[in-house]
Amino acid sequence: MGRSVTISSGLISVAGRPRPAPPLAEATPRHPLRSASVMLVILAAFASVGTQLVRLALMNDGAPGVAISTPVATSVARPDLVDRRGRLLASDVEMPSLYADPLLVVDRDEAVEKLRSVFPDLDERALRETLGDKSRRFEWIRRGLAPRTAQRVHNLGLPGLAFREELRRAYPAGRLAGHVLGGVNVDNRAVAGIEQYLDREGLVDPVVGAQPSTRPAVALSLDLSVQHALESELSDAVTTYRAKGAAGVVLDVESGEVIASASLPRIDPAHPDATPKPQEIDRVISGTYELGSIFKMMTVAMALDSGAVTSSTPIDVSQPLSVGRFTIKDHHGGGSLSVHDVFVKSSNVGSGQLALQAGAEKQRAFLASLGLTERMATEAGTLAAPLLPRTWGEIETITIGYGHGLAVAPLQFAAAAAALVNGGEYVAPTFLKRPTGAAIARRRVIAKETSAALREMMRANVEDRGGTGRRAAAEGYRIGGKTGTAEIAVKGRYNPNAVIASFVGAFPIDAPRYLTLVLVFQPARTVASGGEITASHTAAPVTGKLVARIAPLLGIAPQRSNVRDL
Amino acid sequence: MRLLMLSSVFLALSGAVLLYALNNETRALEARVQAQERQAARLRSDIAVLKAERAHLARPERMEPAARAIGLQPPRPAQFADAYTETGR
Repeated sequence: MGRSVTISSGLISVAGRPRPAPPLAEATPRHPLRSASVMLVILAAFASVGTQLVRLALMNDGAPGVAISTPVATSVARPDLVDRRGRLLASDVEMPSLYADPLLVVDRDEAVEKLRSVFPDLDERALRETLGDKSRRFEWIRRGLAPRTAQRVHNLGLPGLAFREELRRAYPAGRLAGHVLGGVNVDNRAVAGIEQYLDREGLVDPVVGAQPSTRPAVALSLDLSVQHALESELSDAVTTYRAKGAAGVVLDVESGEVIASASLPRIDPAHPDATPKPQEIDRVISGTYELGSIFKMMTVAMALDSGAVTSSTPIDVSQPLSVGRFTIKDHHGGGSLSVHDVFVKSSNVGSGQLALQAGAEKQRAFLASLGLTERMATEAGTLAAPLLPRTWGEIETITIGYGHGLAVAPLQFAAAAAALVNGGEYVAPTFLKRPTGAAIARRRVIAKETSAALREMMRANVEDRGGTGRRAAAEGYRIGGKTGTAEIAVKGRYNPNAVIASFVGAFPIDAPRYLTLVLVFQPARTVASGGEITASHTAAPVTGKLVARIAPLLGIAPQRSNVRDL
Repeated sequence: MRLLMLSSVFLALSGAVLLYALNNETRALEARVQAQERQAARLRSDIAVLKAERAHLARPERMEPAARAIGLQPPRPAQFADAYTETGR
């Protein structure tokens, strides 16, 4: 039976036991501080949620980020390299690389045997050790595989082997311009050439995996078609004259842009050699050579520009030039030659006399103004330092006057020669395409009139009877130039049968746009060269064929007066 | 007081649902972005390979023998004409 509860007059009675009820004023919480704290916590929570909502609403930048641990970059993404007309020379492509997780390799012997069936050149012992080391979880087996090779490995069905996509540098033109481009190592980092320029200038981006570069392509000054023509003609020259090598440059004399640069034997930029063989160096920038009579350009220009002589000033070449125990002889008979003929007939005695007239100090200063006495740097690398005589006395002044006793890199010479034919302004050579209308730093080194007089001599050397460069003539194009046959010094003595035959040319010679420099290293006496090894029989005809081939590519129209009708 | 408590609970639940929905939407967007980025990367990679292949096929060392085989050769000076002379203007 339940108890009855009644409330009356402020008394609560339960089962007949009256108990005093609390007064009404005491109905409020007995712990106000605790309640306030709870309320405060709830309010704080709401404030926090509200703030977060407002932040999400207002600060959403549309690019949600994913918080992941960022591994250290192992490779670099490189921008494309293109020629001056936008044709691709180098590009990053994604390629699979094979790695092993030794812990997951089940049968090491089987794995080694099967892998060697795909990669016969893999070191069996090293591979066995790699796959046997269960403490390691990642080991590269072979990087940069062709898709077909990767498929063959995949078909082996070996556990513990997997692929990772990586960026690999591809050179679609093969060996073309290999020396200029340089190359990269297995981590896509540059080892030589223009590729090193990209690294140096911060144009590459560290990446993980295979993320190609988003940077714009780097345009080089090279013209792929001209480059091919140059390499093709040089290759023919090596075969025809049984030469040990050849090198050549085509330079824009106004902008200093290197349109083509080649050195034979060529190298494959896809497989750069960390220690190239001596004959495989880029002879255009990494070798220094005594260039012989093509240096007479400098001597004659110096003499003309000083005002001491004119083209018609007679120079007595009747007697050999003797200084101390040295005697410089000529093959041009007695009498005197005009400065013009000293150049055209390539007189050593005449050039020596012109150099002596100027003196060592002035000669050195003149060559320095042409950038021939200091090491030159280009985007494709720093050129080999010029080899200067220890003492620059009378005999050195004479020999340098006709191209011996001072060795320079061919590109350095080409840049100096370009200044002599372009109206007299020196422009530093570059392997990068100059933007249209870009300001070009120029430095006047000789007067316009001197340049014009020199061009006339170069023209006569190719077009006039008696010129040493007649075989450089090309139908339709007016070429001017100078031959040089430099004997190579072996153990302190010059070997008359081992020469560097060179020809420096400019076309169209009346207002030159381009300069060519062709070098043939140690040509043999062949039927094609008429049994001669001189430049007039080797390097000059190569230049003629080269100009006939590249002039149309460069937009140089032939002159009708020089064209035989079909 | 009770009303305040109920409102608070309601607001808390609403906020939680809203946050969950936002979170879910964000993750879906992230997934879409990542999928599109992966696709863009794949396409970029394909483009790079195709460009390299085209350049490889069009390299002068390959084109020259092919051109000579069909009788083409570098233009000779006699093949050029002066437009002004030829038209008499």
